[in-house]
Amino acid sequence: MSARAAAAAFRPAPNGLAGAALLVLGWEAAARAFAGTYLIAGPVDVLAYLSGNGALMARALSETLGNAALGFVAGNCAAILLAAAAQLWPRGRAAIAGLALLVFCLPLVATGPILRVLLGPGPGPQIVLAALAVYYTTFVPLLVGLRAAPASWFDLVRSYGRGPVTELRRVRARAALPYLFAGLQIAAPAAFLGAMVGEFTGAERGMGVLTVRAMRALDVEATWALASVAALVSILAYAGIGALAEMVLRERPPVILSPPGAAGRGAGPARGALVLALAVAAWWIVLEAAGLPTFFAKRPDDFWAAFVTAPDAAAARATLLGALAETAIYVLPGYLAGLLLGAGLAIAILLVPAAAAVALPLAVALRSVPIVTSAPLLVLALGRGAVGTVTLVAIMVFFPSFVACLHGLRQAPGQVLDVFDSYAAGRVARLVHVQVPAMWPAFFAAARMAVPASVLAVTVVEWLATGQGVGSLMALSASLSDYDMLWGSVVAVALLSGAGYVAVGAVERRVLAVYAAEQVAG
Amino acid sequence: MAGRGIIGRRAVLAAGGAALGLPLLGRGRPAHAQAAIGMQLSWLHSVQFAGSYIAQDRGWWREAGLDVTLLQGGPNAPVEPPVVSGTALVGISAADYTAAAVAQGAPFKILAVAMQKNPFVVASLPGNPVAAPGDLPGKRIGMALANTPVLEALCRLNDVDASAVTVVPTQYSAAPLLNGEVDCLLCWETDLPVAMAVQGVESVTMLLADHGYSVHSQTYIATEESLAERRAELVALLSGEVRGWEAYREDPVAAARLTVARFPDAGLDLATQRLQADRQVPLMFSDLTEARGFGWWTEEAVAANIETLALLGRDVTADLWDRSILEEVHGA
Repeated sequence: MSARAAAAAFRPAPNGLAGAALLVLGWEAAARAFAGTYLIAGPVDVLAYLSGNGALMARALSETLGNAALGFVAGNCAAILLAAAAQLWPRGRAAIAGLALLVFCLPLVATGPILRVLLGPGPGPQIVLAALAVYYTTFVPLLVGLRAAPASWFDLVRSYGRGPVTELRRVRARAALPYLFAGLQIAAPAAFLGAMVGEFTGAERGMGVLTVRAMRALDVEATWALASVAALVSILAYAGIGALAEMVLRERPPVILSPPGAAGRGAGPARGALVLALAVAAWWIVLEAAGLPTFFAKRPDDFWAAFVTAPDAAAARATLLGALAETAIYVLPGYLAGLLLGAGLAIAILLVPAAAAVALPLAVALRSVPIVTSAPLLVLALGRGAVGTVTLVAIMVFFPSFVACLHGLRQAPGQVLDVFDSYAAGRVARLVHVQVPAMWPAFFAAARMAVPASVLAVTVVEWLATGQGVGSLMALSASLSDYDMLWGSVVAVALLSGAGYVAVGAVERRVLAVYAAEQVAG
Repeated sequence: MAGRGIIGRRAVLAAGGAALGLPLLGRGRPAHAQAAIGMQLSWLHSVQFAGSYIAQDRGWWREAGLDVTLLQGGPNAPVEPPVVSGTALVGISAADYTAAAVAQGAPFKILAVAMQKNPFVVASLPGNPVAAPGDLPGKRIGMALANTPVLEALCRLNDVDASAVTVVPTQYSAAPLLNGEVDCLLCWETDLPVAMAVQGVESVTMLLADHGYSVHSQTYIATEESLAERRAELVALLSGEVRGWEAYREDPVAAARLTVARFPDAGLDLATQRLQADRQVPLMFSDLTEARGFGWWTEEAVAANIETLALLGRDVTADLWDRSILEEVHGA
């Protein structure tokens, strides 16, 4: 594969116009199929709405886009700093990764009121929520990318008597660039969506505010016009970052050879306990330092009292664990569906490059349409049972997996592919023997990112459609000011995500010890 | 001396503001620093809060020395946290939410009641109407599961078997009713039925308040601490509210126009706002408010509220309500 082909992973296929036309036709067909349900408007109606309300939409877009851009920059900078710190300080790596995971698990229903009280009526909460929506999906691929270099390069750095900082600047930073661009592409729609949903916390203006109002007003043209603008902005941002990647990444991926490391050293119980202790301390310190009232900003000791020592603690525990069990049932199917959809779509695009023209914009659009807009339609089509729930979760979580895998497949070393080319090996042989093995590190980054995303997605579906589990419990607790139960739910979600993360890590170490020893060394 | 200097500069700024096109400010009054006050609204800006916009627009709060910020609500913007933390002096809540927060340790009092009649309705379509609670059994009702206690209380009050009603957890929208997912919706008289009417869909609404469901809504809440220490500001704030809502009563159309003009970025539509403005009048104004003024309540109403709240699982006493601020406002 040539360097240009490698870079093409990032940009929509050249026959983009035909693909876009196909998408718009499919959209119009769906709108006609569901006509009269007040759930979807087609492109014709959306254009009519936009032409009549262009100024309003432009003002809302500039507000939301501005906040999303600030959140995008802040979140990605945080991810880069965290990843660099984790690389330079190996002993702290587990703690940094663990805390990054736990912060990502915090649901909007808990963070929204706190951010609003702390940051006031302006754009602060929207920017922070956009940043929170993106940092983790950049951080995780970066951790992988910082290790994606041949051992001989590090030997070279050491032979000049230089240490880890030079290693990071000269070797690791460059090796991580493709992974950084993958993270940035994942972040583009996430930041926009994060800024929109952040407006649900009491923002004065923006596209999220307009979405809430349009949905209540049965204004289906406005609802889908907002979703379309969000999708279009995200597609443009995705393509723009892709173009930038194409300019920067001109070298073919190297063959990464590493001595088989002493793999198997994972997050042992001691490290897990350390991360938990740090998380509890950070929880307590942050809320105390901010001076937030315990009425709605519960501390670890409030949690302990409510679920362990209070007279009604047993009942509270039973409620929480019952809800957690309902949620847990859907996490694994939703997780696998999202991960396989993402990886499968990436492999399909590699095998049938023409499909990218439809699949790429569709994937970005699916990710960037707010779930509050698309969920009612999907629920009507698929019901509120297992099929509807798993589909919704898959739609919410597949995108990071898709981008990471698409990118991982392109990490197939150019020299190895040259060998296959010289034997005229087919696409499938290249895929199975070169590209999929090269994808494993990125795939496992995707597998890690998808864990908290799936848990959160299940709670969102529970809140929107099924009325079960922790998602429903959180919504109910928030409306009843039962902040003990709300924070208990947050802890439950975090622990469930943490358990999933550890499980993925165990599988990852076994696979990567074979296919990418550089990832598990040390 | 530095402190005096700062106060002096603030006074100059305030006076400058008056000269620069805020003609209502400081007519013959000594210019002084305005007290910055937040009021947390329970939802997005709309004519639901038009009395506040009138008070602000006509400068009634400024005249009283208040610089009021109306903090918009939203799906993830509960009213109670900003009031507890002091970001907002007053919040717009409802007796059931307030009772729940008090049970969790929030020191709230209800100072005034904007919606004497609870705005909850069961909305249905004329071909399959729910006109009385007795029509509910056998129906599928779309609602947030969080409102299940409301449905159960309504059924208890009217001797209807709640287990014969199928609850479908839906998003807060009329679409599930219109596309046949449900037979009726639990919603507010002033939002989803208005949206349907604006779309040309006629609906039947059964007001829960007409069937024994007595829960004060759009109530003004503040903490006990504020009641003790910031009485003057509370009186000034509620005075403005009372004047604003009395002006609203005289001309709801003007109130709707003001609301649309004031929030050009909110995507408000005048037809919707006018209809909403009309529909909330009978919920907010009655012979009682005619006689005693906006926001008033009677001991009987409180007793009825306590009974309904008990059905909702909330044990409250009459001292959840504190009429002292309102009495000062109305000079009672």
